[in-house]
Amino acid sequence: MALYNFKKIMVVPTSKEFIDITLSKTQRKTPTVVHKHYQIHRIRHFYMRKVKFTQQNYHDRLSQILTDFPKLDDIHPFYADLMNVLYDKDHYKLALGQINIAKNLIDNVSKDYVRLMKYGDSLYRCKQLKRAALGRMCTIMKRQKQSLEYLEQVRQHLSRLPTIDPNTRTLLLCGYPNVGKSSFINKVTRADVEVQPYAFTTKSLFVGHMDYKYLRWQVVDTPGILDHPLEERNTIEMQAITALAHLRSAVLYVMDVSEQCGQTLEQQLELFNNIRPLFANKPLLIVANKCDVKKISELTEEDQKIFADLTAEGISVIETSTLTEEGVMTVKTEACDKLLAHRVDGKMKGKKVHDVLNRLHLAVPAKRDEKARPPFIPEGARIGRKTMEVDAPKRKTERDLEVEMGDDYILDLQKYWDLMNQDEKYDVIPEIWEGHNIADYIDPDIMKNLEDLEKEEELKVKAGEYETDEESEDEEMQEIRQLAKQIREKRKLKIVCSKDKDVHGPRLPRTVKKVERKTLEKEMGDLGLDMTGKDDSHYAVNARRSRSVGVAKKRKREASVVPTSRTRSQSASRPPRDQSGVRDPKVCGVGYARSSCHQVKWFVLKICTMHIGGVLVPWLKETYAFGDVMKIKFV
Amino acid sequence: MRIEKCYFCSGPVYPGHGTMFVRNDCKKKRNPRKTRWTKAFRKASGKELTVDNCLEFEKRRNVAVKYQRELWSKTVEAMRKVEGIKRKRQAQFIFNRLKKGKQLEKEEAISEVKKNIHLIKAPHAGKAKVLEEKMVQKLQEDVEMGDD
Repeated sequence: MALYNFKKIMVVPTSKEFIDITLSKTQRKTPTVVHKHYQIHRIRHFYMRKVKFTQQNYHDRLSQILTDFPKLDDIHPFYADLMNVLYDKDHYKLALGQINIAKNLIDNVSKDYVRLMKYGDSLYRCKQLKRAALGRMCTIMKRQKQSLEYLEQVRQHLSRLPTIDPNTRTLLLCGYPNVGKSSFINKVTRADVEVQPYAFTTKSLFVGHMDYKYLRWQVVDTPGILDHPLEERNTIEMQAITALAHLRSAVLYVMDVSEQCGQTLEQQLELFNNIRPLFANKPLLIVANKCDVKKISELTEEDQKIFADLTAEGISVIETSTLTEEGVMTVKTEACDKLLAHRVDGKMKGKKVHDVLNRLHLAVPAKRDEKARPPFIPEGARIGRKTMEVDAPKRKTERDLEVEMGDDYILDLQKYWDLMNQDEKYDVIPEIWEGHNIADYIDPDIMKNLEDLEKEEELKVKAGEYETDEESEDEEMQEIRQLAKQIREKRKLKIVCSKDKDVHGPRLPRTVKKVERKTLEKEMGDLGLDMTGKDDSHYAVNARRSRSVGVAKKRKREASVVPTSRTRSQSASRPPRDQSGVRDPKVCGVGYARSSCHQVKWFVLKICTMHIGGVLVPWLKETYAFGDVMKIKFV
Repeated sequence: MRIEKCYFCSGPVYPGHGTMFVRNDCKKKRNPRKTRWTKAFRKASGKELTVDNCLEFEKRRNVAVKYQRELWSKTVEAMRKVEGIKRKRQAQFIFNRLKKGKQLEKEEAISEVKKNIHLIKAPHAGKAKVLEEKMVQKLQEDVEMGDD
């Protein structure tokens, strides 16, 4: 059934949008670069491709529109009629026809221009042809503006139509405006149709669903019908008429007994007779609504006669009041039963039934003896069924309480709790203590376990497990600890000092360093030795001697007497180095400035180049080579 | 409402604070048993009391017990006592564990002193004086003897 496809129709764009979309698509999805110097077939192919692409796009979209929209001949006559009423069949068909024509025209245009392009001999010509082709296609689309707009509106309205299944069980409500049809549907189903005091509140068909006898029923609410001939009816009324005409349903003709709708009973009867032909072959029911205002028995004789007549014809008349819900259920059950009976009848008369009937067989067990064996119904079910039938509330619900108490009502679920002591119901139950969940400790045996634990603990304490055996350490141990601490500290200090020294260059042996007398005495003193009165100790004497020798060296050096023997020369003061090996010091002609601190150094330098910062720079390098080299003396 | 245990560190998660602790959970493939600071690690490597009667009191029970006022109040009392005992036992456990360490410390101090005493006290520190005094004493004795 094309029922649900109404929601799946693709959006119909406006003509301007349509053109924009297609052209931009062509621009994006086809190659864009072409040059004059390309070979002509390549240029032609390029432009032909654009034309064909555009044509393809238009064609696709238009075809989709044509297939999406329902064909009035293919759908259920109810929908066809409804669409006719709402959108005018002719207009609809015309619009779709236009679209179809447009599609064909575009195809033709593309064909023609592609053919022409085969004879294009330059880029300019091909381009102009393409422009012309696209231009014509777009003009065609521009002309479809009205159709496209109309179709878009149709689509939007179509998608919002109520989904009425024309084949399933349906109850149809009809009558004058304001008689109470929408109120009825609100009561019977979950639908929420607007109910207002003015006429024509309901402007279109509404559907509600309800359940009865384990089956799903549709209830269709229609806009009110006024009494005038068919030709003069407007769109809204026509919808109701369409529904009446095409849906195979039970008809509930609603009448307003109290005449609050603004029509007298005679007028309502008139209308009823006028649309009687539409009720052919449909189970009919008359609903006398608003009986809370006026009952049939309170009516005048003539009016009562009307109803009597109707009943005489075999149509049941039921009094209802949608306000007090009186009789609503009766109407529902009767209408449903009637319809079911009607449908079953119809099916029985049809041909399909026999196939099924032949296969069905109801097996009844044959009686063995005269013993009565009734069906067993458990007591609880019997009671339940009775209460259901009586339909009285079994117990007071919370909702009832709430209604009673109004503002004072507080939802108190604790009163339903089932505890050992009923008076503990409203206790505040502690849940957490000091980071532990109380619920984790709850145990009926907890007291017993606790006793056991405490006994255990006592035993442990007796056994002495908890005694902290801190052997109070004797003095010796304490002293040892003290010393160990000092040792560790001293060690760390030494390590830090030695790291601080930061000696660059070659490591000299310890004996080269001169040790000051003061530091030596201080260190040894710290270690506990007695360093007083050490003036004539060995190290002090040496210290003095070296000092005096050093002082002596500071005076200007006189030419010393050349020693006569070797051994003596070695033990006596040594000759200055620059005169070593020279017999007569006066022979040395070079005049040096003498200073005890400086020593003569020979540098041999070589001029070479060195990379500094990426640049070759002349540099003087110390070296010991002796050829081709400049000798400089530094003093 | 109840206090849950964080999956990762086994710490308590109070109602409403979940995000803070669940973030500790972040699964960068860390095994709580190998992450040193979690309770799971400590229990698995025997650093804390694991099997004990007092720990059996707190466990999740699947059978619901209907509320009874006296039972609840007794339970709260019992909880307090059990908590006290639990703490004592846990502390004792850790103390026992650390006893060995103390012993080792003592021995280390002794050996240190034996080896490196020379860093703070020269071995013959007071000996010179003692020797001198001895000599003086001896001389005096000799003199006395000579006198006699």
